[in-house]
Amino acid sequence: MTAADTTTTRRAASPRGSGTPRRRRHRLTFDKVSFMVVFLGVPLAVYAVFVLSPFVQACYFALTRWSGFDPNPEFIGFENFVRLFQDQTFLKALGNNVILLVVIPPVTIFLALVLATIVTMGGPTRGQIRGIKGAGFYRVVSFFPYVVPAIAIGLMWLMIFDPSSGPVNSVLTAIGLDQFQSYPWLGRVLTAMPVTIFVIVWAFVGFYMILFVAAIKGIPSEIYEAARIDGAGRWRTLWSVTLPQVRSNVQTAWIYLGIFALDAFVYLQALNANGGPENSTLVMGQYLYRTAFTKNQFGMATATGVVMAIITLAFAALVFLVNHLTGGSEKEERR
Amino acid sequence: MSIESLINRRSLLRGSVAAAAVVGVGGLSACATGGPIGGDDTPDPTTGGESQAPMDPNNPFGLEEDATIDAFIFDGGYGTDYVDYAAKQLNTLFPDVKVTVKPSTDIAGELQPRFVGGTPPDLVDNSGAKSIGFGTILDQLSDLDKLLEAPNYEGTPIKDTLFGGVTAPGTFGGRFVAMNYVFALYAVWYSQSLFDENGWTPPTTWDEAIDLGKKAKEKDKYLFLWGREAATYYQTMAIESAIKQGGDEVRLALENIEENCWSHPAIQAVFEKLHTIVSEGMFKPGGSGTQFTAAQAQWTNNQDALLYPSGSWIENEMKKQTKEGFELTGVPTPVVDSSSAMPYEALHSAAGEPFIIPTKAKNAAGGFELLRAMLSAEAAAKFAEEKFAPTVVEGVVPEDGFGSTALVSQSDMLAAAGEDKFDFKFVNLYGMNADMLTVWNSFLDGQDDVAGLTSRLQKIVDDVRNDPNVEKVPVQ
Repeated sequence: MTAADTTTTRRAASPRGSGTPRRRRHRLTFDKVSFMVVFLGVPLAVYAVFVLSPFVQACYFALTRWSGFDPNPEFIGFENFVRLFQDQTFLKALGNNVILLVVIPPVTIFLALVLATIVTMGGPTRGQIRGIKGAGFYRVVSFFPYVVPAIAIGLMWLMIFDPSSGPVNSVLTAIGLDQFQSYPWLGRVLTAMPVTIFVIVWAFVGFYMILFVAAIKGIPSEIYEAARIDGAGRWRTLWSVTLPQVRSNVQTAWIYLGIFALDAFVYLQALNANGGPENSTLVMGQYLYRTAFTKNQFGMATATGVVMAIITLAFAALVFLVNHLTGGSEKEERR
Repeated sequence: MSIESLINRRSLLRGSVAAAAVVGVGGLSACATGGPIGGDDTPDPTTGGESQAPMDPNNPFGLEEDATIDAFIFDGGYGTDYVDYAAKQLNTLFPDVKVTVKPSTDIAGELQPRFVGGTPPDLVDNSGAKSIGFGTILDQLSDLDKLLEAPNYEGTPIKDTLFGGVTAPGTFGGRFVAMNYVFALYAVWYSQSLFDENGWTPPTTWDEAIDLGKKAKEKDKYLFLWGREAATYYQTMAIESAIKQGGDEVRLALENIEENCWSHPAIQAVFEKLHTIVSEGMFKPGGSGTQFTAAQAQWTNNQDALLYPSGSWIENEMKKQTKEGFELTGVPTPVVDSSSAMPYEALHSAAGEPFIIPTKAKNAAGGFELLRAMLSAEAAAKFAEEKFAPTVVEGVVPEDGFGSTALVSQSDMLAAAGEDKFDFKFVNLYGMNADMLTVWNSFLDGQDDVAGLTSRLQKIVDDVRNDPNVEKVPVQ
């Protein structure tokens, strides 16, 4: 009875169904459902539990006065945010992040691009396009810093810049510059930030060089040969041929470095855990950490985290926008 | 109207005087009175109150025979085996009780969800860099007064076996909530062998310190040195000196983070002397860029500087980096002059490793019992012998200090200080150390003067006082 029913309905449905063949394709078989559960449902659930829900919770705790140990945080609206932007220390930290954001990406990308060019096409101007002698060796060596963990890099440079026993001051005093006797590079406002930026750039340049090497290798060598025949010099080739071709890589690098610069917690914590002289190297991440774990103001700390997230997203959007407005390659790729 | 306000003020004054008398400077009298003194607004049948019932000397807290005890212990310089040892002692009395000792280096991080969820452990050693700020969990902690009333495993009431003043660091707003187990004192440390060699004597006033600094210069040495993470050791030293010079009012002004507390004449006098030492170049330059362990090694190994202010943990901390025959010895912090309110011998002593029992603990009686086992003479002696550090239990360290000059000098200083011991907690209680480090690094580096130092420290304190997010803990 029931079997007959289903067959009749199916028959009855089929003439209508033939008009909309899509409906049939979307029928849920066990195969499809299990596939969706495994490959869509599970990741989505993991994402919801471990990414989305902490986000939502953070947004809520940012609006509370919470010691972190009290089961009932007190709801106080946007007070944390107001106080945050009135706090000189936070504004100082924000400013330091902006300095990192403005300085680190262009410097790192410029150096990485120059190095990548040297090892891919910096060789002799005659014959095949190739890098300088021993390019493979340099490529490997310059990647080394990226293999070393960030905290180890920080501690290593900390010792190199040690006022009393570090090699930097030893060399400087040995060549007669006595004013560097016991000079605290990371302990004076004038030098703490530049030294910090130097260390970070040193750590990242190798990785981005490899990224650009790969991108440059993907450019057909005929283009370079044509440019050379037209009489383009090395700088001209870099600017007019290489750069437009690796544009999307530069954009990616810029976003990655920018996001890093807005965080930068590990390096700064290793080099100057207490924020540096006059908080000149304090970053938002450290401010957040301090608020949460030494002052036990978790509500305030989560508010800091929310602000950091918003700034980071705004930065990424800005990079995309700039790239779009200047006619970036992103648009062409999408087509 | 005016009479009424006068009466009010007088009764208020009388009240505070009475409260001060009860709490006492060292907090000793607080132990004697027993029972919660005030602020106990969360009575719990298993932990607080109900002290009328007579105590069974073998089971003063009514521990059940087959209970489990959940202890959460900071795994730092002292390890956690000393709690295991106490657990074994406990098991001789209660063979069926199961004690779990969980070592942790991140007390705050691991216990945060348990406090929030209302399932905290029975005993916590709230210590280390990631400890929980006391201000934030004060209302979730049991009063520990009945622990002091209970007899120890040798039969003596626990309150009679402890050093004077050891309950002070664990007393917040009049409530004794944390039993600090390890005794620590703050002093100025030096190498006895180096001083003997040069005929130097450790300074008792700042002027003597400046003279000593001049003699050190002749030997191409500095008086002091510092490391950037420990710049506030000099703040601690300055506060100690000022409290000894100006008396308890200095301590109270700072502890209650009062307006203009840093402008107290005694503090200013000490700051001026320190500034002289800085501007005379008696601090080894470069400290603001030197890690504190590296800086301390310049003192214990290279002997670049003569003196270093620190806590008694310094011996253990620098053990592997101390020159052979250094003979580490401590003396009390200098005073400004002989007119000081407290004698030169007065000591900043604090007990460390605060053990707490949460009110919501499932088996608070077990927490109390385990603490009682730890405070037995046997467990305390074992601790001192193995860790080279005295516990709060008096009279278990032998004369020779197990061969450590530092431990011997600690015993001497403690004996000389008598009841003149004090402690202050406001810096860590309100989490101000990070902000203060910045200020002190600049001052010690010669980048700031006394006026700048004072106003910037005052601003840090004022910000905390005016911050509605911060729960203030009044100190009397």
